[in-house]
Amino acid sequence: MKLTQKLSILITAGAVLATTVACGGGNDAGGDGATGTITFTWWGGDDRAVKYKEAIALFEAANPDIKVKTSFTDFPNYWTARSTEAAGRALPDVMQMDLSYLREYAENDHLADLSGLSDIDTSGFDEGQLNAGKVDEKLLGLSAGTNTFALFVNPAVVEKAGVEPLAEDYTWEDWNAWILDVQKAGAEQKGQPITATADYRGTLWIFIQWLVQKGVDPYTADGKIAFTQDHIKEFLALGDGPNQAKAFSSANRITQLKPKSPFLVSEQASELNWDNFTATYVTDMDTEIQLLPPPSGADGTKGMFWKPSMLLSVANNSERKVAAAKLTDFLLTDPEVGKIFGNSRGVPSNTAQREAVVSEEGSPDALTTAYEEAMTEHVTAETPVPIKGFGTLEATWLRLAEDLSYGKISNDEFVEQWWAEAEMATL
Amino acid sequence: MISKKTLGSIAWHLGALAIAVVVLYPGAWMLLSAFKPTNQIVGSVSLIPHDASFDNFRTALNGIAGVSFWRFFLNSVILAVGAVVGTVLSASVTAYAFARIDFPGRKLWFALMIGTLLLPFHVVIIPQYIIFNNLGLVDTMVPLLIGKFLAAEAFFVFLMVQFMRGLPRELDEAAFLDGAGHVRIFRSITLPLMKPVLATASIFAFIWSWNDFFGPLLYLKNSDLYPLPVALRLFVDQTSTSDYGAQMAMAVLALAPVIIFFLVFQRYLIGGVATTGLKG
Repeated sequence: MKLTQKLSILITAGAVLATTVACGGGNDAGGDGATGTITFTWWGGDDRAVKYKEAIALFEAANPDIKVKTSFTDFPNYWTARSTEAAGRALPDVMQMDLSYLREYAENDHLADLSGLSDIDTSGFDEGQLNAGKVDEKLLGLSAGTNTFALFVNPAVVEKAGVEPLAEDYTWEDWNAWILDVQKAGAEQKGQPITATADYRGTLWIFIQWLVQKGVDPYTADGKIAFTQDHIKEFLALGDGPNQAKAFSSANRITQLKPKSPFLVSEQASELNWDNFTATYVTDMDTEIQLLPPPSGADGTKGMFWKPSMLLSVANNSERKVAAAKLTDFLLTDPEVGKIFGNSRGVPSNTAQREAVVSEEGSPDALTTAYEEAMTEHVTAETPVPIKGFGTLEATWLRLAEDLSYGKISNDEFVEQWWAEAEMATL
Repeated sequence: MISKKTLGSIAWHLGALAIAVVVLYPGAWMLLSAFKPTNQIVGSVSLIPHDASFDNFRTALNGIAGVSFWRFFLNSVILAVGAVVGTVLSASVTAYAFARIDFPGRKLWFALMIGTLLLPFHVVIIPQYIIFNNLGLVDTMVPLLIGKFLAAEAFFVFLMVQFMRGLPRELDEAAFLDGAGHVRIFRSITLPLMKPVLATASIFAFIWSWNDFFGPLLYLKNSDLYPLPVALRLFVDQTSTSDYGAQMAMAVLALAPVIIFFLVFQRYLIGGVATTGLKG
């Protein structure tokens, strides 16, 4: 046989293969979109994958005419893949959504209004959680679990430093004083100085929490920034004291320890973070951890809010919205699913799932649940839904904060540069 | 007495050795970390594991979420072998046309093909994704392989054209006078002479495909189809729990074939690059 013949056979075979595969993709279209194969994707590791697979097996048993195809990746790559799919209007039927990205995907009309899908029962969710997933009155994401800020404290390190533990009603000023006290104590852990905390100004969400305590709404209803440059300056000035005294964990040490942190290696007494980090801290640190509320604002209130740790959204380009709605509802309201996940998606937003979580005494799940129950009285604010481009602004904030802690830029330069970027991103 | 020359030579070697240690350290760190318990890996720069064990390898070989390591490995092999076969078949034919056949617009097409080298992958990825999605080919390996079979990798075509330009035309002409057509000339004269450059192209195609992360991430949705680089990322998730030990172990297992491949074909690789006249 001549090479040309071989080649032409090869090409024909390729073409036939391509057509077969193409047909295979279109054949299983269901009539009303209530049956057939739907796709579902999330970010997370092995642990979450095993839990989702278990939950989906239950779903498929209950809905034999729906098949769920799943996929998962880690958080940063998850968004790379989604943005490409969004450009091609080929988002998966159901996907895990993050609050920071909700408005971005909403503005381009990628997400379906869940309140229009009768298979989703929203009665077990409280008003605040539903509002957190709403953009322009449309319910675009339904909260799986909640987070709120917590000050994680490592009591062993506090004791080693020999300072008084913080009282629950501490203010930002009290915290600053405590940070300086820890530094003055001069204790060491394996030759490294023990510090009280990393520079808390590095997280945009902490700034937002601080704003909310002041009674300032961070964003306008139509998704613009509502705070001013002076607010940022005031917030940055708050940390000047400890920063100038070099009382925060040093930027060098933090970089050295990445992806761990000084808190994880017991060189730091406390860390202000979302309370769903409990599991990570408890498993990685092998020591007792306490959760305190974040510092109080000037008027003594904590002004905390429930942030959905993750939401589920249905894509507008989905051809099987009914089936997608059934899956969304099942994953967010079924008590059995609640039991499978525990608090690993945040403390469940849905009442039925929250009640189904059984956690062992002293387990991370029990810690978070107890903390959130105790904090209910302090949760007085509405969840601020991040504006479009928040993900980028968050990253810029973090980068500038690193420059700030290395002393490369001043507070004013920080404000100027971040503001310039914010204006571009929100135009 | 040691002469000045010997002293200089010793100093030079010591210097080179020091640099080699610096360069090799991260690799050695990865290799040895694979034997450490997870909580002793990150944040520690020491090489020697305290409680060495094969636990991480056991976890890694168990795979992720019900998909075994060998499945990921097999997917990587399919993609890499497919890339090699596709590249060798298509790029050599294309290169023959560019180097030996004087068809109309040859210079223009050649320039356009070189032009695609300058296009970053990220520019074409969205239109490409839309096309493959409309064809229903997403979540299959077709989008990752079809370009290789259609000589879409301009780099390899260019590499082979450069190589062919160095082959004496007299050989072709002699064959032509004996009555051979282009197919016969290509098969019997050019292809056998192209072995070094084919080896080079195969090695590059293999390594690039083996290490490719972004393409599989976009086109393969089902975790049963993930190749190793994508699977590697699944062990570390900052929002839940991270198993660095298993990740290191899998990284070692994933790297082994590339290193073996490189060691076996190293002399072809160097020989091939040297003979194509692609210098510096």
